Amino acid sequence: MEDTGVHLRGVTKDFGAVQVIRGVDIDIERGQFAVFVGPSGCGKSTLLRMIAGLEETSGGKIIISDRDVTDFDPADRGVAMVFQSYALYPHLSVFENMAFSLRLAKRPKAEVKDKVVEAAQILQLTDHLDKKPSQLSGGQRQRVAIGRAIVRDPDVFLFDEPLSNLDAELRVAMRLELARLHQKLGATMIYVTHDQVEAMTLADVIFVLQGGYVQQSGAPLDLYDDPSNRFVAGFIGSPSMNFFNATVEDRTDTGIRARLEGQPDVAFDVDLTAPPDPGATVVLGMRPEHLVVTEGEGMRVTVDVAEELGGVSYQHGTLDGGDPVIFQQTGARHNMHGTVQTVTPQTDRIFAFTPEGDRIR
Amino acid sequence: MTAKQGRNIAFSALVLIAAAIWIFPLYWALTTSLRSENRIVSDAGVWIDELNFSAYIEVLSTSKLPIWYLNSVGTSLIITVIVLITGMMCAYALSQLRFPGRRLLYLVVVASFMVPVPALYVAQFVLMSDLGLVNSWWGIILPQLIVPVVVIVYKQFFDAIPKEMREAVLLDGGGEFTLLFKLYLPLNWGITAALAIITFISAWNNFFWPFLVVTSESMMTIPVGITQVNDSFGVFYARMMALALLAAAPVIIGYLIFQKRVTEAVMISAGVKG
Repeated sequence: MEDTGVHLRGVTKDFGAVQVIRGVDIDIERGQFAVFVGPSGCGKSTLLRMIAGLEETSGGKIIISDRDVTDFDPADRGVAMVFQSYALYPHLSVFENMAFSLRLAKRPKAEVKDKVVEAAQILQLTDHLDKKPSQLSGGQRQRVAIGRAIVRDPDVFLFDEPLSNLDAELRVAMRLELARLHQKLGATMIYVTHDQVEAMTLADVIFVLQGGYVQQSGAPLDLYDDPSNRFVAGFIGSPSMNFFNATVEDRTDTGIRARLEGQPDVAFDVDLTAPPDPGATVVLGMRPEHLVVTEGEGMRVTVDVAEELGGVSYQHGTLDGGDPVIFQQTGARHNMHGTVQTVTPQTDRIFAFTPEGDRIR
Repeated sequence: MTAKQGRNIAFSALVLIAAAIWIFPLYWALTTSLRSENRIVSDAGVWIDELNFSAYIEVLSTSKLPIWYLNSVGTSLIITVIVLITGMMCAYALSQLRFPGRRLLYLVVVASFMVPVPALYVAQFVLMSDLGLVNSWWGIILPQLIVPVVVIVYKQFFDAIPKEMREAVLLDGGGEFTLLFKLYLPLNWGITAALAIITFISAWNNFFWPFLVVTSESMMTIPVGITQVNDSFGVFYARMMALALLAAAPVIIGYLIFQKRVTEAVMISAGVKG
């Protein structure tokens, strides 16, 4: 079968003296839903625009469907893009917006109509084909933008933060629609977002970017369960992972025993295959959902803000030593605001990092 | 009566007085054109107490008014079309294309805006004369094709179109001409109409350049033609006013039809001209 995947080889991008993409290698297989995620300024949108051909590539190769498209014009790369602002043509009807690329390619009228009507059916836009974009709601505009991509029948769909202009409810609904659309079309899709929830729910494969590098890539749960550095550990998962400085007190049969710097009466056993020497400083990472309220010994947390979401609540507080802590409560209804709680991490759910941020395994 | 109502009435009165002052010369031209030449000299009254159309009949039957109309319409239309097309393309290049010297070129356009047009008349006349274009439409047209304000206004509007729309067209397979004629121009029909109106009006009203470059009566535009009704026996006020009103008629009728657009156009160009 023809490989319509997307492959990046040592791709770099310079803006003057500043290098924003610093040698990225990416493999996205045919039909995969790939998500580029990272904080603002990490280069994720730039990378997407380079794949689209809207930014020139300073170094490396971009291969789409077995073709080196690095120097191709955007229209010749077999990609279609959905923009954050939708970028619909305001003077054209929904039909004409979707037909624009086909008309430019001088396709027969019947084919144009068939393709647009088919895309409109997929996206439930059939009743709106004669309207102007200004007469549509945000969600409908977004669907027109997607429709404009569908009619081109591209090898790769590119989405640049397509949901960030929508309100929270619509965002969730459109997220589901995108997931369904991906199943239906089976096309390769690359999606850029800063929202790690979108990344986790949509992706087959996530690429976490920061500082112009891919920090880690893999299936969403692999990144969650096995982050390769402190940045990824903190970025994937909501709320973020808690980090505490600790000192290696001793080696154990399975790893180390580390004592918290913030609260020296507490020490935890961490399973590691390559344990650091006693006396070394490590950073322990614990997810809010893995901290359990216990009686007796544990980390003493003074809760200062409680976020009650109904099903779960997030308790924000500080450890004795001043480190900020978030822990999750499920089903608990008593107000913890202002109280001191003792929490303990679930065993095997503690991650260890070097002070530089690398994972210790 | 509240203070606010009082202010409104005072303001309305002021506007009415200003309007009356503005319209008076037009009105006087009308009364003058409807009198006999002899009476104008003896009695400069302002009331319409005579409906004498002899000046109109005289002007329409003896002058070359139809040809002057044709010259005015022809040259003004050609000027408008060329100015808009070249101005739009120049503005598009300055706004959207990246090439060395782009900023410098834009500065030149802006600077050329500060050169008073009459300062160029001598040089332009010599040029037209060298090109053998004196007494021709092109002699009237060519120097009037330099209208930097069109470039500046278009550029501002092109700059305001979101970059993503441009990129969407590029991804859809469009080039620069598709971008200009299928995206930037359709999105700016309003401003195009406005610029067309001000360009047309200023070309129609232009007196001095056509007066310089044309000496043959059959090549004159209407404003220049108006000067031709005097003969060696003196000034004929009624005929002059009749001709002036006939010359202004198309512009006035056009204004009444496109009132909103003209106001818009004047506001936009005033905004640029400061």
